[in-house]
Amino acid sequence: MAETSSSTFRDPVVAEPTPELLHKLESMWSDAPGLIGWFSTVDHKRIGKRYLVTAFIFLLVGGLEALAMRLQLAQPNGHILGPKMYNEFFSMHGMTMIFLYALPILSGFSNFVWPLVLGTRDMAFPRLNMFTYWTFTLAGIFLYMGFWTGHGTDVGWFNYVPLSEHAYNPGWNIDIYALGMIFLGISTTAGAINFIATMFRTRAPGMSISRLPIMIWGTLVANIGILFAVPAVSLDFLLLWFDRRFGTDFFNAATGGRPLLWQHLFWIFGHPWVYAIVLPAMSIVSQALPVYCRRPLVANSAVILATILTMVLGFGVWVHHMFATGLPVIAMGFFSAASFAIVIPSAVSVFAWVATIWTGRPVFTTAFKFFAAEIVLFVIGGVSGFMTAAIPLDWQLTDTYFVVGHIHYVLIGINVFPVIGGIYHWFPKMTGRLMSEKLGWWNFWLMFIGINVGFFPMHISGLLGMPRRIYTYPAGLGWGDLNLVTTIGAFIFALGALLFVVNVVRSLLAGRKAPANPWDADSLEWATASPPPSYNFGVIPSVGSIHPLWEERLQSDDGRTILHEGLVLDHHHEIPATTPLDGEADVILKQPGSSFAPLVVALLIAGIFVGLLLGMWWVAGGCALALIPGLLYWFWPSAESGWAVEA
Amino acid sequence: MAEERTLGRTLPVGKTGHRTPGFWGVLALIATEGAVFAYLFFSYFYLLSQSTTPWPPSGPPPMQYAIPTTIALLVSAAALWWAQRSIRLARRGQMMLALAIAALLGIVYLILQLLDWNAEPFLLQEGAYASLFYTITGFHLLHAAVGVLILATMILWSGLGHITGERYIAIDVAALYWYFVVVVWIAVFITFYVLPWITPA
Repeated sequence: MAETSSSTFRDPVVAEPTPELLHKLESMWSDAPGLIGWFSTVDHKRIGKRYLVTAFIFLLVGGLEALAMRLQLAQPNGHILGPKMYNEFFSMHGMTMIFLYALPILSGFSNFVWPLVLGTRDMAFPRLNMFTYWTFTLAGIFLYMGFWTGHGTDVGWFNYVPLSEHAYNPGWNIDIYALGMIFLGISTTAGAINFIATMFRTRAPGMSISRLPIMIWGTLVANIGILFAVPAVSLDFLLLWFDRRFGTDFFNAATGGRPLLWQHLFWIFGHPWVYAIVLPAMSIVSQALPVYCRRPLVANSAVILATILTMVLGFGVWVHHMFATGLPVIAMGFFSAASFAIVIPSAVSVFAWVATIWTGRPVFTTAFKFFAAEIVLFVIGGVSGFMTAAIPLDWQLTDTYFVVGHIHYVLIGINVFPVIGGIYHWFPKMTGRLMSEKLGWWNFWLMFIGINVGFFPMHISGLLGMPRRIYTYPAGLGWGDLNLVTTIGAFIFALGALLFVVNVVRSLLAGRKAPANPWDADSLEWATASPPPSYNFGVIPSVGSIHPLWEERLQSDDGRTILHEGLVLDHHHEIPATTPLDGEADVILKQPGSSFAPLVVALLIAGIFVGLLLGMWWVAGGCALALIPGLLYWFWPSAESGWAVEA
Repeated sequence: MAEERTLGRTLPVGKTGHRTPGFWGVLALIATEGAVFAYLFFSYFYLLSQSTTPWPPSGPPPMQYAIPTTIALLVSAAALWWAQRSIRLARRGQMMLALAIAALLGIVYLILQLLDWNAEPFLLQEGAYASLFYTITGFHLLHAAVGVLILATMILWSGLGHITGERYIAIDVAALYWYFVVVVWIAVFITFYVLPWITPA
């Protein structure tokens, strides 16, 4: 073979993986040991696990905030938290769960699983991948800065003006929230770009668009939505910060601004965001539930089309959050109709899952229970949402506990349950050990009973007129018993979550060793060892169908997947790039290896935001100028990342 | 290995042609940055539609800088197109000249925009129109400044020999970004400088 790593073209070798090859790949792909490796790694598996742990810590923090509020509301005239503190708790709770937990946890799954499911060795942009983790974590710390120092954001996670304007809320709290959200938006957007480029360009050869696993679709569609949704909220917070800091007039009605502009931009983002944090979770269910039903997902194509349609319609329903703001009737009628229409694609997935269970041979593992429970909770949360699409009912229910019950059924039901199920499903792949099914039984039932005992009564207290966001309430309104039940349910749920943490820790230390494919699943991540080696696959598989590991038993008339031999690609960090639709190899990519650049750039961006917050313009300006050499260092052409200089 | 099998097809290696993920990355970046501008224009037209006072408050803005700006940016786009063409024909010197013209015209735009701000009769804090005007033009200015830095980097890399007739993806990516900056300027120009003359308040 007369080829060098700097030549422009190559006919790549196809072979079986030999021990020498695996050894060579290991030495190329593995990170430096110790802290240097920890800070400079760009391994998607490490990044994915780090995302999962960090987001889960935020879930626990947000959960503790919720428990404090539930203690307060357990009885009339509670006084554990004062009104100011209570405001901070519910604002931080909402912000934490919606922004620092719900999406990042899904990014964790996608980061870990995507390259494995796609049969390749890394994401399209490995360093950008690490950058999104650092910016997420730094933005999370930034957003929590105020809470520990008595400046927590305190006007609710949707932060309506004019209450959040400087005149009514002059402290640091809203500035921290505003700048922190813009900072976090950078991370979210960068992550979305990475997933989109990965899906279109770096799959295993043969994985045409029709052979794309269902899990990829949900995350892909959500991330395309993120590209168009996140700018609305980043801009909204930027304009608010301008108003607060420089005295601009975007939301000030006295000088030509409009408070409703805030709400429009917020919900143009907010509603698509709901789909961004549930569609990937739903696709986890669509991917993993059929494994435990021992059959492929029913109506796979219909579920994909419904996923896309849900995201598209999701951009046309934002005004249903604003029915009570006095908009023109025609506008409200349109958005009410759109909100009813979105039920149809949402229901497609539900029917497909039910049919999959119905026609399959379910294995009642813990993961299965979480996925099956998700269907039940989705239906309850979906129906209560459907109800508020009707304008008269919405007027009655808006800002009551009914809406609080609805959002928790949706977000816990369609996000937390699939996430916990997903951990039970992929834990053996991530760690090489199985989680305890016995603890899992308790974990599941406590959480399932807890959510229903905790959140169902909220619908009733809402119908009885209990407003959301009150820090206490007098006796004799008829809400006391319901609230006590809710608090008991919340603590049962928390106990279940605690058991989950216990199970994770215990299984990490002493769980049963997992084989490569403990669930006898169908997708490519189960074709490699548990946990996978640093290079994922010794040779790149060639994909022949949508269920690569079930081809024998399904006797599908699609092609056959070849795992025992494939592209060797052992010159450096090499992966094949494939054509977007047909999935044919068309370039050999040279991926960058571990680097400190993502951390440096993320820290500089954090420096900009700290400077802006404190009004230290020289800090912000200095960090912005330092970004120029920082980014040049990141992007500097090197031969090993495919920039070889021709002689 | 005795018998070595290959794919049987020769594939380009590394950053060759137009086939890298980076191109998809910048397309997605443009989509999301385009959305930011779309929401800025949404805010502009929303506040315009809700306005009960003359809009713009001090009459249509002066054109003496906006028209030269538009010409400068359109010519810079043409220069970049020429740069893309040149490198495909492996004429690196010609490409560097074209890049330099585009970058210089970008700097001309930055200066003209600052002069325009200086000539405006209102300050940032003086009403919703003023806030929108400075925020939108300022946001565009920031994007153009980043674009000029990218073009300067391309000139540097070309001079160091990293960009060749075979590896010119970076030029395509930079050009795509700059075309985006120019297209957004057209929207800024029409919104702020043309429409107020056509539809007097």
